[in-house]
Amino acid sequence: MSKNAAPPADVPRHARWRSVRPASVVTSAFLVIVALYFLVPMLAMARFAFQNVPMALLTPEKLLEGWSFSGLWTALSDPGIISATKTSVLLVVFAIALNLALLLPLAIITEVHNPRLRPVLSAVTLLPWVIPPIALVVGVAATFRAAVPWFLASDFSLVPFYALWAMPFTYRALDAGLQAISARTLYEAARTMGASLTTIIARVIIPNIGAAIAAASALTAAMVLGEFAFASLLLKTTLPTEMVNYQRGDPRGGLALALIVMILTALALGLVVRSLRRRGLTVHTAGM
Amino acid sequence: MQSSPRRGLRNASLVLIPFAAFVGLFLLYPTLVVLYKAVTPGGTLGFDAMARALSGTYRTGFINSITLSGTSALIGGVIGLLLALTVKSLRRPAWLRPTLDSWSAVASQLGGVALAFAFIATIGAQGFLTKILKGFGINAGDYGISPTGFWGLVVVYLYFQIPLMFLVTMPAVNGLRDTWREAAAITGSSAFRYWRSVVFPLLAPAALGGVLLLFVNAFTAYATVYVLNPSGALVPLQIRFLMQGNVITGEEDLGNAIVAWVIVLLMASLITMTLLQRRTLTWTRS
Repeated sequence: MSKNAAPPADVPRHARWRSVRPASVVTSAFLVIVALYFLVPMLAMARFAFQNVPMALLTPEKLLEGWSFSGLWTALSDPGIISATKTSVLLVVFAIALNLALLLPLAIITEVHNPRLRPVLSAVTLLPWVIPPIALVVGVAATFRAAVPWFLASDFSLVPFYALWAMPFTYRALDAGLQAISARTLYEAARTMGASLTTIIARVIIPNIGAAIAAASALTAAMVLGEFAFASLLLKTTLPTEMVNYQRGDPRGGLALALIVMILTALALGLVVRSLRRRGLTVHTAGM
Repeated sequence: MQSSPRRGLRNASLVLIPFAAFVGLFLLYPTLVVLYKAVTPGGTLGFDAMARALSGTYRTGFINSITLSGTSALIGGVIGLLLALTVKSLRRPAWLRPTLDSWSAVASQLGGVALAFAFIATIGAQGFLTKILKGFGINAGDYGISPTGFWGLVVVYLYFQIPLMFLVTMPAVNGLRDTWREAAAITGSSAFRYWRSVVFPLLAPAALGGVLLLFVNAFTAYATVYVLNPSGALVPLQIRFLMQGNVITGEEDLGNAIVAWVIVLLMASLITMTLLQRRTLTWTRS
């Protein structure tokens, strides 16, 4: 991917190609329509959440009236939302920790020691796509509920499954980071100087893939904060499930909360992606 | 070299064993149990439950889910690919590409509760767009544009499908070298010929693979449709119904059988996708 440097802008082009190019009007119109499609729902949501004027009474003159954050504050002080937020934050922390504990050493060893493991790892990290939450939840309820009832009783029984579904994202992010720093060369260099494997991992490799680790963590966090199916079907109270509950009693506050969570997640993810791009790292955020 | 192959093996197994045990326990074990139970309803081998899972309302569920996922995958695929091609051909404005890049990474993750809320506020009965259209004398519901109608759901799903397609096809689109276009022009090919003989064969595997991924993505989407229309006849909602509903004997076998069919469907799509992707990789990596 590093060879994709854009050619200088003054490269002469064949005249015929210029004229055949889709008219810039069509291109702009297409981009504008796509942009509107992505913007309008967000604006509509923001209006609903922050403008205390029912749609039926809204007229063009009233567009600037009644804007306030009151719905959001009410939602944020709801005890149910507060406790669900705590649960979700802990789930994020534990899922990231478990995910990194399992995948980081494996990704490093695979890269520096056993490249033959690469296809195995790629295949394994694809498995969560084949067995998504809505399918796995049936198996989990059928097995763990009978065998280890105390396990599913805890909210934190979600952690291993969330770590699992984050793997496609995490492995690819870590792998991209390791490739970018030529981890193998670093490893061999440190080895020649007599460093032990643990030293190399802790003091050479990990400090150099900080950005990739941050990306992996951000992607995991976004996944955990958005996961609804598994938690809901196992009757767990996490932020997404509680938001749906809460919204039934207070639509305005519910939407305000959902919008804020979404914006914060988007900002965090966007920042991470941009910082990675700036380092020239291609991270497959699609988890493929 | 200090590290003997044996030592490498030991290190590898040290990290591989916990990982394999983890995946085995939390992913493979529950899945295999479901698959096993699906083909042994009531304890004896039989395809009774598997057959029932494809009949009556469950057949309708599969047909609806496949239609919805397929439609949103095709439309999202076309728009996402067009977006990638458009963005590649544009050098200005400079902020467009990084912005779109980051935005897609974010938006492709947005399927869920918040997205459903956003569309309720947009095309719901009291939605912003519904009201504007009404101002023009158009009743959006008549065209199926409500969050519970088929086309409404397609519109909602496109919100995460288009960015996902953009993300998965962008590497292939970027792989189209400007020099190829120039080579085609110099050798006297028309633009049409260039698109037909160069771009299409190169992009087709990536694009088809992308559409399959979108299909899988939409088929397993749950949160959005649960919030918008919890009683709809779609496979994920039927799984919920069977899980939470009355545990009549035989019903859990039905749930297992439906999940088994879902896994078969997803696996077939993803294997095809991987094969197509491999074709693309051979030339984007050079």
